Amino acid sequence: MKRRELTRRTVLKGLLGGAVATFALPPLECLMGTSGQAWADGTGLPVRFGLFFWGNGVLPKRWIPAGNGPEWEVSEQLAPLLELGVKDQVTVLTGMNMLLENINPHWSGAAGWLTGKPLIDTDDHDTFAGPTIDQMIAQKIGGSTRFRSLEVGIEAKRGQSFSAANTRNPIEKSPHGLYERVFGVGFTKPGDEVTVDPRVGLRRSVLDAVLGQANRLKADLGANDALRMEQHMESVRELELRLARMQENPPALDACVVPAAPTGVFVDEDAQIHLADTNRAMCDLLALTLACDQTRVFSNWFSDPVSNVQFPGGAAGYHQLTHEDPGEQEEVHKAAVQIVAQYGYLVKALKSVPEGDGTLLDRCAVLGTSDVSRGLNHGAENIPVLIAGSAGGRLKAGIHHASPTGANIHRVMLTLMRAMGIPQASVSQDEAFTTEGVSGIEV
Amino acid sequence: MRRVFWGAIWLSGLLVLGGCDAGDSGAGDAVAVADVVADVQPDLPPVSPREVELVAVSPTMQRLTRAQYTRAVHDVLGAHIVVPQTLEPDTTSEGSRAVGSGLATISPRGAEQYEAAAFQIASQALSADKRAALAGCAPAAAGARDDACARAALGPVVKRLWRRPVAATELDELVAISGTAADTLGDFWEGLQFGLATALQAPAFLFRIENGEADPEHPGQLRRTDWELASRLSFLLWDATPDDALLAAAEAGELTTSDGLEREAMRLMASPRLRDGLRAFAEDWLELHDIAEMQKDPTLFLHLSPELVAAAKEETLLGFEHMVLELDGDFRDLFTTRETFLDRTLAALYDVPAPGPEGMTLTTLPETSTRRGLLGQASFLALRSHPTSSSATLRGKFIRERFLCGEVPIPPVNLSTGLPPVTEDALTRRQRSEAHNSEPGCNGCHIMMDPMGLGLERFDGLGRMRWTENGAIIDPTGDVDDVPFADESGLAEVLAKAPELPGCFVQQVYRYAAGRLDGKAEAELLEALTRQFATDGFRVKALLVEIFMSPGFRRIGPPATAVEVSE
Repeated sequence: MKRRELTRRTVLKGLLGGAVATFALPPLECLMGTSGQAWADGTGLPVRFGLFFWGNGVLPKRWIPAGNGPEWEVSEQLAPLLELGVKDQVTVLTGMNMLLENINPHWSGAAGWLTGKPLIDTDDHDTFAGPTIDQMIAQKIGGSTRFRSLEVGIEAKRGQSFSAANTRNPIEKSPHGLYERVFGVGFTKPGDEVTVDPRVGLRRSVLDAVLGQANRLKADLGANDALRMEQHMESVRELELRLARMQENPPALDACVVPAAPTGVFVDEDAQIHLADTNRAMCDLLALTLACDQTRVFSNWFSDPVSNVQFPGGAAGYHQLTHEDPGEQEEVHKAAVQIVAQYGYLVKALKSVPEGDGTLLDRCAVLGTSDVSRGLNHGAENIPVLIAGSAGGRLKAGIHHASPTGANIHRVMLTLMRAMGIPQASVSQDEAFTTEGVSGIEV
Repeated sequence: MRRVFWGAIWLSGLLVLGGCDAGDSGAGDAVAVADVVADVQPDLPPVSPREVELVAVSPTMQRLTRAQYTRAVHDVLGAHIVVPQTLEPDTTSEGSRAVGSGLATISPRGAEQYEAAAFQIASQALSADKRAALAGCAPAAAGARDDACARAALGPVVKRLWRRPVAATELDELVAISGTAADTLGDFWEGLQFGLATALQAPAFLFRIENGEADPEHPGQLRRTDWELASRLSFLLWDATPDDALLAAAEAGELTTSDGLEREAMRLMASPRLRDGLRAFAEDWLELHDIAEMQKDPTLFLHLSPELVAAAKEETLLGFEHMVLELDGDFRDLFTTRETFLDRTLAALYDVPAPGPEGMTLTTLPETSTRRGLLGQASFLALRSHPTSSSATLRGKFIRERFLCGEVPIPPVNLSTGLPPVTEDALTRRQRSEAHNSEPGCNGCHIMMDPMGLGLERFDGLGRMRWTENGAIIDPTGDVDDVPFADESGLAEVLAKAPELPGCFVQQVYRYAAGRLDGKAEAELLEALTRQFATDGFRVKALLVEIFMSPGFRRIGPPATAVEVSE
């Protein structure tokens, strides 16, 4: 533990930084369709956002594909996309640079890229300065589903989804847990009549009381603590909204198939995680969660920055390998390929669900990315960026978009937000501030 | 640049003069500390920590940890209750959950989990066989509201949950919720569950909130109220919510008096529940929280098992308890002792005979054993390693930061961090990292960590002793800030004598007690506490007494306002 002292400035800067975009706006009903409306022809189907994140980057040399635009060949590391039959649905962006200051290895990259703001304190990564991209989007489009967003993790310890500074969204690491949460108590199959439970209304009155208590207590708190209490209240309000949704009849959705509970062993007796099995089960559940319109925003934290995830047959943990695998880093390469395969599985799972006149994937944008380009030197130039799906035709899918001179990665953030129907004027700050997206992948 | 705590320098001088009993640890090595003292001649006023003039720090609201939440439910509503463990994860800051609790909010998922838990708990607390005892009354009619009985039932329970008196309007609201639910559901007891579930989701339960009150001894300033002191004392010493006796003392206004505070504190210290508090501190201090999720390659570490991992954590916690409670010894002995608690799995890892047929048994490692103290324990060695190998840097970093309170700068980005591969000339980790550290950009920081961590290289990534790496003999020598040692045993001895060690420990305990980082205004208090710690023979219990009798514990600043934000 360091000898650093607490200053109010540090704490407040973080909290205030996070408070700016904290509070959910009403959903863009016109774009998304309302929860009371069926989407018979598919034209009014909602768009969804997904994030698949892994720590420690890739080997850029073996990552960047040959060719540009729609004519491109998968690189060695992207080969699983072809093998899984999803190459034509995935757009690869290369030459994307994180332009905010890159001081703290891994964490400057993760925080800067995902939030558009530098770390509050460059020595510290316990919190990011504000909401991450999944939450920026969820705060705008998540309001009309039962869950504003869902966060899962495979090997990640904590995940890095923040609603605001110091409000990390905990990840669900068990497929059983995810199943229970989404399809267990409280779930009504779209098209079915909700069973009216008087307890739901009573629970809402309990939450009202909690909000009242919090509001009264807030008056006597210091500035930092008042913001924390407000964040708590925001969370309670969201829960109340969820209970309200449970009292409404969900519209029928052809794509919705209620899955069976996952079976299988995901963590063995030595507490080692079965990575591919867990990811597969999670992704299958996430796909049906979207198809049943239980949420429109998810994040899958395959691993955290600095993660030492070890793949079967790997010589060491991934982070250690990035620093110690000598020469051409063959072991790092093999691990990166396995990570791409996990992302590819997610894409395939979304593609396998028919929806409207296409597949669920057609209305998604699933960002696959990392904290650094190459783990060895923590570079923020050429951070891997994959986007699967066309967000309902707003994005070009299946192309390689290369920025030979290096482009601001936050343009990708802006493009993604706009693809979700959010009329966002700009994102990020300082060198990374931008009012322009990546026009080359926009339709 | 080595950062030396001047209180620590002073107390090292004290040792040289033989001014305190350093116990039998031999920790007061006059030669080593005299070198440090020779450079500095502090002119220190001998101020007791209880008398230090302090500009009190503004309050910080702490969210209950999972452990505190669980314990509070068990204490107040019954030990039979199965508390869901799918609660909002504890927040960590600077490696500490106690510090993190002072920053934590409640996420949307967390609110959902607290809500579900509240109803599960309320249902168990008011189950058919438990409700009469908890409520102390029976409704006039089981199928309808009975506000009088609801009030009688909730009043005392909520007071304990909220750790303070419940205002009439607050209780009215809970009674009204219970009544409406009872009428709606046609069942008094089900209705009462809603009132109780409200109390369990209340910010007054989930957060430890302090506002302070006017301090008659320091006009114009604030002190903690009796209720606030009760909570602070209880969470510090028991990691639990105040018991009835402590709340009664608060109600009687006794905790704002020195005698009353010390009396109640000594009562808590004398209780077996002090173990809970000590364990919670040790877990936080040594960052043992996530040990069960530690990822290790089972094909390389054949001793690895969930039993071993659990035992490794228990070894460390029991050792700390033993040192503080049974021995009431010099805390520096934690680093040098050969006494420890082992079960069969740990004994196998350490290659010593199993001390008992089952469970953890106190045993003494052989006099010849170079494995000693905290740095020889599997919990430390395995957690500060990689999944497939040891890590001199991770181990050295933890020692530097957690035990010596040194600041290791974050490594620069865009610097090649690769270690050279294993070659005939560089077989061991030391040889490989020496090549790496010969680069000037690396050496400046690694020298703060590696010379200590390399001394532990004969412990593999799980903590098993080994003598060679890739066929080459491992060299276990090193130094702690230029004080050399020959092997892991020597490292333990040198570290135990390091002048920064006691002051750093005081700082860790203080942060834990305060639930936040120490402020600049508290530097003098920490120095005084460190001097007193030395005078008291570096005994942890004595340190705890001084902390809760100090103005840092008893007084509080005004709530921070946004106006106070400045560069």
